[in-house]
Amino acid sequence: MTSSSSRYLPLRALGELSETRYWMYLLLLPSLVMILLVIAYPTLYGMAISFRDMRLTRPGLDGWVGFKHYAGMWSDPVFWIALKNTVVWVTAAIVLELALGLLAATALNRDLPGTKIFAVLILLPYFLPNVVAGHMWALLLDPRLGVINDLLVRVGVLETYKAWFADPNTALAATVLVEAWHGFPFFALLLLAGLKSIPEDLYRAAAVDGAGVSAQLRLITLPMLKTVIAAAVILRVIGLVNSPDLLLILTGGGPGDATQVLSLYAFQTAYKEFNFGYASALSVVMFVILMIFAAAYIRLSRITKGEGDD
Amino acid sequence: MIESKRRRRTVANIATYFVLAGLSMFCIGPMIWMLLTSLKYEADIVTQTMQYIPRRVTFDNYVAIWTQSGFPRLIGNSITVTFLTVTICVATGTLAAYAFSRFAFRGRTQLMLGYLVVRMFPAVMMIIPLYVVMRGVGLVDSRFGLALAYTSFLLPLFVWMLKGFFDSAPRELESAARIDGSTRLGAMVRIVMPLARNGLVASSVFIAIAAWNEFLFALMLTTGQGSRTWPVGLQLMVGEFQLPWGVLAAGGILSILPVVVLFAIVQRTMVQGLTAGAIKG
Amino acid sequence: MATLSIKDVRKSYGSVQVLHGVDIELEDGGFLVLLGPSGCGKSTLLNMIAGLDDTSGGDILIGGRSVVDLAPKDRNIAMVFQSYALYPTMSVERNIGFGLEMRGVDADQRKRAVDDAARLLQISHLLDRRPANLSGGQRQRVAMGRAIVRDPELFLFDEPLSNLDAKLRVEMRTEIKRLHERLGTSIVYVTHDQIEAMTLGTKVAVMKGGHIQQLADPRTIYERPANIFVASFIGSPAMNFLPGRLASSPSGVRFAANGVSVAMPAGKRQVDFDRPVILGVRPEELKAVARDEASVTGVIDVVEPTGPETMVTVQVGEQSIIARLPPRFAGRRKEPIFLAVDPASVNLFDPDSEQRIDI
Ligand SMILES: Nc1ncnc2c1ncn2[C@@H]1O[C@H](COP(=O)(O)OP(=O)(O)OP(=O)(O)O)[C@@H](O)[C@H]1O
Ligand SMILES: [Mg+2]
Repeated sequence: MTSSSSRYLPLRALGELSETRYWMYLLLLPSLVMILLVIAYPTLYGMAISFRDMRLTRPGLDGWVGFKHYAGMWSDPVFWIALKNTVVWVTAAIVLELALGLLAATALNRDLPGTKIFAVLILLPYFLPNVVAGHMWALLLDPRLGVINDLLVRVGVLETYKAWFADPNTALAATVLVEAWHGFPFFALLLLAGLKSIPEDLYRAAAVDGAGVSAQLRLITLPMLKTVIAAAVILRVIGLVNSPDLLLILTGGGPGDATQVLSLYAFQTAYKEFNFGYASALSVVMFVILMIFAAAYIRLSRITKGEGDD
Repeated sequence: MIESKRRRRTVANIATYFVLAGLSMFCIGPMIWMLLTSLKYEADIVTQTMQYIPRRVTFDNYVAIWTQSGFPRLIGNSITVTFLTVTICVATGTLAAYAFSRFAFRGRTQLMLGYLVVRMFPAVMMIIPLYVVMRGVGLVDSRFGLALAYTSFLLPLFVWMLKGFFDSAPRELESAARIDGSTRLGAMVRIVMPLARNGLVASSVFIAIAAWNEFLFALMLTTGQGSRTWPVGLQLMVGEFQLPWGVLAAGGILSILPVVVLFAIVQRTMVQGLTAGAIKG
Repeated sequence: MATLSIKDVRKSYGSVQVLHGVDIELEDGGFLVLLGPSGCGKSTLLNMIAGLDDTSGGDILIGGRSVVDLAPKDRNIAMVFQSYALYPTMSVERNIGFGLEMRGVDADQRKRAVDDAARLLQISHLLDRRPANLSGGQRQRVAMGRAIVRDPELFLFDEPLSNLDAKLRVEMRTEIKRLHERLGTSIVYVTHDQIEAMTLGTKVAVMKGGHIQQLADPRTIYERPANIFVASFIGSPAMNFLPGRLASSPSGVRFAANGVSVAMPAGKRQVDFDRPVILGVRPEELKAVARDEASVTGVIDVVEPTGPETMVTVQVGEQSIIARLPPRFAGRRKEPIFLAVDPASVNLFDPDSEQRIDI
């Protein structure tokens, strides 16, 4: 090998470089450059934009306006509706996903023969693209030929087909259902790993001490899962608040503003109206709210090192 | 006593299977329905009485989506963008993940945390400045530009995930190789990489799926046929041409096919990486 | 084969100093054991000799050549790791030959060297296997094979036996000793097992908290420990410590405490009389005797026959000591017992500095 690497002198030089103390910085350099280029600079620039007027449709309008956008938000009714919807929508989705995830994880954790395949099937929605998920559910819930309407009419829950996404009373709930379908596998995955990490002996000891099923759940399972649940919830909240994709596809915020959330509002302000200044201000506010929430939440649930990816 | 205990266990087992079957149905039922829809004639989709099992099967919808729209072009663009994203992440992220896993240096924890905080940035907050910046350098409506944009949220994810896999390759192996005559670089390439290969593949597939699926950035950053990816294309087709349900379903099935296949291949390692990343620490 | 000199070597992680100026000289062909409790810096020192960790100060010379600026691959050393660190993707043969492969030795020569090493370690029949398919003892042998095949100037061992079960550990210990005597290469060996240290080392460095407590041959370490830490760390059961005073008497200097009166050997040096000291006595230096020969008087607390000997815990004043007595010792709990001590075998320590007092 020495002979081959001596033939490739640059490689050999790189090899020797790897024995110096600069090596780790060289390893970090490429990704740091990338991060600075595509994250740090745009982020700072985005913050700056939120203090400027920038409308691509009106090139003349460009200049510093201070806190104008932030002040404008205060008197913007849509902002407040979107804020309220965000809270309701995220809370509902999290509760539903946590419940479904806990159910799935508990069932999978029993490790009955043949249940491995269920784990794969249950995880699948998580990897489906929003665009497909959105249209798929639009098809399922279609007011004229949706199979769910048909099923509900057949079993007598509904009298006639319902336009779920067009009715302001059901639109938000329907999108929560779709979001939960898409997101609960993530909870199932993490909770299952959490359950697996609880030593079997703890349950045996509790059973010997006379603890019933519900006592075991209350005294062992939930406390041991607390960190995992906390980490999963925070990651998912971040994901939900930040990504308006499904709503954009399913309802576009309508009917009226019934399903308008902050991220969607910000995106549409940028995408449809090209009002970059206001859109940036909206997303900065959203980010700040999210940070405050995350900090408070982490402090409350006392996870100091909840980390990872979703 | 024993009898009742056994009975209770049997009941619990049946309930477990019931729950799992129900949840699985909830998860893949919609996909099955979409598959069935894609195989139906339009007349059988828009009927008075719902057809649960298609009476006739046709592949016309697939032919239609493939030939009558720019779909192959969209798929091609998506492949290019995904490939570029994965290449950038693997090339830069692997080195960083390795450094994070192996070296202690000042600011390491802060840097790792920084990589995490990036996840909190709203997509919109990134999209707007990226759009403005990229328009300035002519990268709007470019596949490379889109791949760069994806790097902004996928690279940190990739680094975190891969670091977990590197962490589980014993350090002593590298020490042994260095004493045996390798340089650090040689030990990394010859010893650590082969061990972390599955993890590298799983992490790459994970970001490949994410890049393949991505919608919001693509919607904003692509404007023409030249770089538009399939999620945007499909969405615009729905809006513009009143795409028939069957054709839309066929497009959906085609575009999730690679995701499902890739996921099936590496799901084990990927699940391991995802949970380790999220729970550890 | 080479000498090893460690000169004032220091190591800090950030503001935490884990090695404080270590000095060690090892003769050519010597066997140096680094012994100490967990976290005392043994592995750190070994890794610095290997070049896997940077030094924060001082110098390391192998065969008279300073190596601190050399990469591990250029130090001509071989190392056996606690986890064996066999490359899981390679066969045993390739594992053993990897070091030669890296150094560009051609295949034939490599094969011959690997075969020789394998024969020496009796693992010739395992050469085609993967490490995953070996037992712990076999892995250990492969790891040693990988080290000896290179014929380095210096072997480094980091707790190589700690993952083996008790029986195998004794076996491999003997094997390592045999290898050392046969190859004659200098060895640095890290362990926290005092038996390994005593049986293998020609020189033992007892470490604690990043300081060398004593550097000497095993016999000296055992018989004349430099301080209370070394005295208590080596030997099982541990040395007995009895606080008392040195007093002069007509028959010479005596150590006196409640229930104890030991005549001190005639010393070369003058010591202060009537000062507090701590007497250290190994359990096997105590003998059960008649009352009038006794220098220690106490009451039996616990009697534990182990087969070849009997451990007796004795209450002496407020202190509790252990005596290692013959197997047929017949005393019972609560009975008085009389013990004699060979004055030449005792150690005295200063209660404040805990250092040895030579008399
Ligand atoms: N990378 C590091 N950063 C900070 N402190 C370290 C690091 N590595 C080791 N230490 C500290 O240095 C001290 C010595 O560690 P070392 O591994 O040498 O101990 P050891 O004697 O080999 O112990 P053991 O018998 O448990 O292997 C320990 O207190 C340890 O906490
Ligand atoms: Mg150690």
